[in-house]
Amino acid sequence: MASTGIAPPRIAISPRLSSDLVAALGADNVLQRPEEMLVYECDGYMVERSMPDLVVFPTSTEQVVEIVKICNRHSVPFVPRGAGTSLAGGTLSIGGGVTICLTRMKRILEVSIRDRYAVVETGLVNVFLTRSLAGTGFHYAPDPSSQGACTIGGNVATNSGGPHTLKYGVTVNHIRGVTLVMPDGEVVETGGAVEDQPGYDLTGVIVGNEGTFGIVTKAIVNLTRDPEAGRTFLGVFDTVDAATETVSGIIAAGIVPAALEMLDNLMIQAVEQAFGFGFPTEAGAVLIIEIDGLEAGLDREARAIAAIVESRGGAVRRSISWRTRKEPEYVAIWKSRKSAFGAIGRLSPTYCTQDGVVPRTKLPEILRFIVDVGRRHGLRIANVFHAGDGNIHPILLYDERDPDQVKSVLLASHEILDKCIELGGSVTGEHGIGVEKMEFMPKLFTPADLAAMTTLRNMFNPIGRCNPAKLLPGGAGCLEKTGPRRAAPA
Amino acid sequence: MNSPLSWPEDAQGGVLGDGRYALATDRPASVDELLDRVRERVGQGCAIYPQGGRTALDYGGEPARPGSALDLTGLDRVIDYPYADMTITIEAGMTLAALAKVLAEQNQRVVLDAPEGDRATIGGILATSASGPRRFGMGRPRDQLIGVSFASSSGELVKGGGRVVKNVAGYDFPKLLTGSMGTLGVITQATLKVRPKPEASAIIWAPLDDGDALERTLERLNVSETRPVAIELLNASAASTIAAVADLPVGRFVVVLGFEDNADSVDWQLVRARQEIDSSAMAIARDSASEPIWSALVEFPALAIGPLSFQANIAPRSVAAFVERLDPDRWRVKVHAGNGIVQAHGLGEWTFEQAAAEIEPLRAAAVADEGNLILPRCPTAWKTRLGVWGDPRADWSLARRVKEALDPLAALNPGRFVDSI
Ligand SMILES: Cc1cc2nc3c(=O)[nH]c(=O)nc-3n(C[C@H](O)[C@H](O)[C@H](O)COP(=O)(O)OP(=O)(O)OC[C@H]3O[C@@H](n4cnc5c(N)ncnc54)[C@H](O)[C@@H]3O)c2cc1C
Repeated sequence: MASTGIAPPRIAISPRLSSDLVAALGADNVLQRPEEMLVYECDGYMVERSMPDLVVFPTSTEQVVEIVKICNRHSVPFVPRGAGTSLAGGTLSIGGGVTICLTRMKRILEVSIRDRYAVVETGLVNVFLTRSLAGTGFHYAPDPSSQGACTIGGNVATNSGGPHTLKYGVTVNHIRGVTLVMPDGEVVETGGAVEDQPGYDLTGVIVGNEGTFGIVTKAIVNLTRDPEAGRTFLGVFDTVDAATETVSGIIAAGIVPAALEMLDNLMIQAVEQAFGFGFPTEAGAVLIIEIDGLEAGLDREARAIAAIVESRGGAVRRSISWRTRKEPEYVAIWKSRKSAFGAIGRLSPTYCTQDGVVPRTKLPEILRFIVDVGRRHGLRIANVFHAGDGNIHPILLYDERDPDQVKSVLLASHEILDKCIELGGSVTGEHGIGVEKMEFMPKLFTPADLAAMTTLRNMFNPIGRCNPAKLLPGGAGCLEKTGPRRAAPA
Repeated sequence: MNSPLSWPEDAQGGVLGDGRYALATDRPASVDELLDRVRERVGQGCAIYPQGGRTALDYGGEPARPGSALDLTGLDRVIDYPYADMTITIEAGMTLAALAKVLAEQNQRVVLDAPEGDRATIGGILATSASGPRRFGMGRPRDQLIGVSFASSSGELVKGGGRVVKNVAGYDFPKLLTGSMGTLGVITQATLKVRPKPEASAIIWAPLDDGDALERTLERLNVSETRPVAIELLNASAASTIAAVADLPVGRFVVVLGFEDNADSVDWQLVRARQEIDSSAMAIARDSASEPIWSALVEFPALAIGPLSFQANIAPRSVAAFVERLDPDRWRVKVHAGNGIVQAHGLGEWTFEQAAAEIEPLRAAAVADEGNLILPRCPTAWKTRLGVWGDPRADWSLARRVKEALDPLAALNPGRFVDSI
């Protein structure tokens, strides 16, 4: 999708900027040749690109402060970046400037099992934290599908979810405190390892700021007790409708699964070709339904789920009973799910992954709508998503060499997101607004809501030098032009 | 801010807390009316003191300047209850008890464990971030709130979040408003996650006489094979009051475990937990028999025993040693032991000097543990000297900037929160 913001003209860079940064960080931690910086001109959102002028790799909070001060001295914007897996263009260096890449700050500084927290540098890759906790009986709960690559800092910035956040909560529910380098170089530590610090929940509002409040260099995260056991089922359905009705049925029955993920036929075929897990390629849709907790309580829940699946005309085809999340069949089914986006590459050279949310009872309706949109625009759309949360991820397949298809993809995406709003949902459940969805903000929020958000952003980031042209549409002037459109209910 | 208004001498206009009276009390019946009142009062130079069930009027610092009370209890409607989506949107003046009743019709509940549910409003619970025993397993108010609307001091309605359980569009005002003590906005509406009522629940009540065994027991429970939703610790004074509700044995300390799940799981956990805890006189209460104990645990913070109550937040590993320091003849103590939240009510008479002599070293110990110690109850005259919000924290300067950005007129609950915000 095209961003609404008219890209600001590229900033003029003085050669002194680069020498100052090299002096502060060493030449090894600074990239400036275009061919070295190609990776940094975009992220997982490939529709737009913008080359930074420099990419730097700090190794400490002090160095981040140094970088920010140097950028301010030279009046140059800067953008924090983790692994660059953002699907909303959050890391684009709009108008140029310095990309501050945190991936060399990846230490686990402290782990306390007794007090259930860990302190990490934010360049740490999500899965490394969970791996390092193996055997302790605890884990870090938020598990985005990209967890093998994405960083804790990126997760904090976007408030990431994942398949298991249905039961365990998203990133913000698991962050106790952060170290934030503010855009003027001031360092603030919010919250702490100890709960309930007196004062505002600054940590809570910093999570999900998409890098517009500053650079988070450390996070204190909750550790969650591992479940004793679990059951993972593969529910097979003739139609998408039957599968989504089952999702609504499970939620309405008051069952809180650990995960509840759906794949439609197109997705099943792609995943099956790639991984050969044994998904039935003729099925209209499958659900991966997982419950976990204490072994003693699982059989009853399992029976209740099977009954709901069957009452909607589905069948439970596989049932994996596990004690740890390392058992081969368990690993295989989740590998298929978590690598699903990658498998799409076999169906189409280019694709656009959308992210929207609807109330869970509206899943059948939004999925039918997506089929209709695909038909009208002559597009193939695959679906693989966090059904239990109502968080859809339609993947629109297209050929980027065909401008008509590109146009159709944009139109189709808009229609789907507008429909999410109409059904009482949101235009992003986990990927963020970034540059991609700024134009939807006035549809979700009133001018007063946006003005309050702008006020807050300006307090943290008064000159707007940190991650400019993201999340909030335009300046105040632009907002006024938008006028009071029908806003979604609070 | 200099105000030409002066404090009223009597309660004709209503009560604000800390012995202060309101210039007037507005009780709007709609959000539009509320916004009008806010604009009008702020225009007159009044501060605005939002009130819900008036259960916490003395909580926090003294009201800093004359103003009007804004009574939210006229806003008590259910806006939308799509129960199959497991969410509910309500106006902020609804009481917790009224909400519970609506949800019970669908066999659902919200995890807001606040005391005085028949008076406490959802807005007040969110503003004070009041939490209870179930926070260990099910989170705090911040974890239940997915959307919020609030009136700013300029009389505009602002919202954040939405009505779906997963949503990252825009900044997280629901988090910022939760626990903000009404100093950033007047919460008018909230969307909460709801949950099914558990099929079974149970309490294990385990008296312990050996202080040395306390941390060993708590440490063991941290890695228990069971999954308690609550781990509470009582000293002898708290144990004897709560024991009275269900005829339970008492000891120097009592560890209370709460379980909620399906019946098979709860059965198993009761067996397992009994093996894990070393207590000679353990008692178990199941389902309806556990209810009075759950509610005594929830109501504990609201006990108005003496002039002084504190709440310390410390590391869970330090809980046992901290509680050992507290004389049960002087302090009635209950701890969210899994979270490190110590709640204590002072017993008997206290002079200021006695209070200061107790509070200062306890606070120092909490601060040394990277926590703090606040005073939810304290005579008004002691408030400034004892520091109701604890030792100043470095991030309060950022808190102040947030306050100045969102309430530039300092009109909302002035004086009540940290750093006299
Ligand atoms: C295949 C695939 C699957 C995915 N699955 C999921 C999923 O299941 N759930 C989900 O939520 N997301 C998912 N995503 C999206 C993405 O992985 C997440 O948004 C992730 O949190 C981004 O982390 P990152 O380290 O790559 O951050 P980046 O992409 O580098 O940055 C993302 C945003 O965060 C900011 N940022 C990064 N680090 C910092 C920091 N230290 N301080 C301040 N701001 C910072 C950036 O400026 C940018 O705005 C998926 C992406 C892909 C490609």
